Amino acid sequence: MNSRIPQLVAIRVRNQFMDWSGAWWFTVTLVANHAIGPLIGLVVWSAVMPSGQAPVSYYVALVAVQLLTASFENHTFSESVYDGRVSHDLLKPQPVIIGPVGENIAIRVWMGIFGLPLTVVTALLVGASYRWSEALLAVPALIGAAVLRFLWTWLLALAAFWTERVHAIVAFGNILIFLLGGTAAPIALLPEPLRSIALALPFHAMLGLPAEIATGAVQGSDAGSAILLQLGWGVAFAGVAAVVWRRGVRRYAVIGA
Amino acid sequence: MAAVVVRDLSMTYRVPVRQGGLAAALKSVVRRRYREVHAVRDVSFEVAAGEVVGFVGPNGAGKTTAMKMMSGLLHPTAGTVEVLGYTPWQRRTPFLKQIALVRGSQPTGGLQELTVLDSLQYQRVLYEVPAGEYRRNLDELCELLELGPLLERQLRALSLGEKMRAGLALSLLYRPKVLFLDEPTLGLDVSAAAAIRRFLATYAGQTGATVLLTSHYMTDVESLCRRLILVDHGSVQYDGPLDQLSARLSPYKLIRVSAPSAAKEDFADIAEVVATHDISWDLRVPRDQVARATSMLLTTLDVVDLAIEEPSLENVIDRAYREGV
Repeated sequence: MNSRIPQLVAIRVRNQFMDWSGAWWFTVTLVANHAIGPLIGLVVWSAVMPSGQAPVSYYVALVAVQLLTASFENHTFSESVYDGRVSHDLLKPQPVIIGPVGENIAIRVWMGIFGLPLTVVTALLVGASYRWSEALLAVPALIGAAVLRFLWTWLLALAAFWTERVHAIVAFGNILIFLLGGTAAPIALLPEPLRSIALALPFHAMLGLPAEIATGAVQGSDAGSAILLQLGWGVAFAGVAAVVWRRGVRRYAVIGA
Repeated sequence: MAAVVVRDLSMTYRVPVRQGGLAAALKSVVRRRYREVHAVRDVSFEVAAGEVVGFVGPNGAGKTTAMKMMSGLLHPTAGTVEVLGYTPWQRRTPFLKQIALVRGSQPTGGLQELTVLDSLQYQRVLYEVPAGEYRRNLDELCELLELGPLLERQLRALSLGEKMRAGLALSLLYRPKVLFLDEPTLGLDVSAAAAIRRFLATYAGQTGATVLLTSHYMTDVESLCRRLILVDHGSVQYDGPLDQLSARLSPYKLIRVSAPSAAKEDFADIAEVVATHDISWDLRVPRDQVARATSMLLTTLDVVDLAIEEPSLENVIDRAYREGV
């Protein structure tokens, strides 16, 4: 079974990509919703620091990170718990998580298709600039952020096994990402001790870190330590999610599927 | 050899309850009260490999809960189930590859924007069906379910009857050995329901699959199952041949006789008249007197047609639900 997982994930991504092709217009609204936060940050911080190039490049990079790490498991997986569709998946000979992973990647690809041209146009309009070497160094952090944000949203979405108010829980989780991830303000501009706390928590690793590496704000050993911390949070979230998943399925199987 | 073995199976749900009114609502914030609902109680039976069994009962009897435990979706409060030697709720891959649960309320899961053909190909990969076998099974399913015109259509755009045909094709593509059918003709029109029944009878006959069927439509049960398990209030009330249930619950048979010159009083010593339609009469006769009554009718009256019928299964089951077995 394990050797088949990459193949099953790839097929699921392909199928979900086709499935979402019928809702491309909806994907455009998702792009707008997710780009608006960093774009507001761009306008506000450009006004606060009119001579600074850093906030401009940072927030444009943040738009790209936001689009490529967006997660909607409360809308995809949790709804399947509520309407019973998850029962079909529980009886398939594959791990259930392959479905949410495949859909997550497919949605991000669609958001990238519509959103990345918007990001490039914005970068040209506001004069954002990057070094290729720093942009490439940001890729591992971007992949880490994508995994971490999926795990965070998936973990919160698993609350659907216990409550029908999962959207409120995930909305709170997204507010934490907004406040402590680097959208409301670049983490480097936060006062101490808030800055140190934000750097230690996982939300910075979900959003602001790849944008900071891409703009050269975090470099060298600092970048390496931040990515290691990101990895640590990923392992912790995966472990907790596995335990919560087992308990959730057990509850689903006890109270009625 | 038994394909399904169920022993002392029980399922108890804990459901929150509270009285009406604001005070009770506020009180429930601090202290919640629960009530236990016994959906299934000490159910035991075996189903032999290749057997087709009807699993019937009124709404809330516990049949769907029992079926979900047998297919692996629910974990019982007590008891054991073995399906093909596996414990269903462990959901081991070899077990999942040999069973299918088809629900009339939700015939197709999965991605609704995909075409039926895309979904079938996905099933092929998922269940590791070899290419040759896939083509053979698909051809056969296309013929039996008249699937051809549906293959290029998206699942979400299918009518209920078409969804059920697609759902059956998706579930049977990998030739499951045990098939759990939960209300497979739910909401279908007469023709669509008859087509599904014909298909299921053919499929069960050709493949030798073990089938457990729940349905509120007795035509489904009558046309597919020789054995019936009747469940009510979570317990098995009857387990045996279908015709014996009729005999047990309805000690009468119906004789329909056409006799143009007959009057009601002519039947007084033969049988009880229960209905009249122009020149035909419906007579209710105790089972052990059917031969005598028939003989008397043929000798004393000018009979042009005569038929002896079992009471309808609908009536028998209705009586079982109301009065018990």
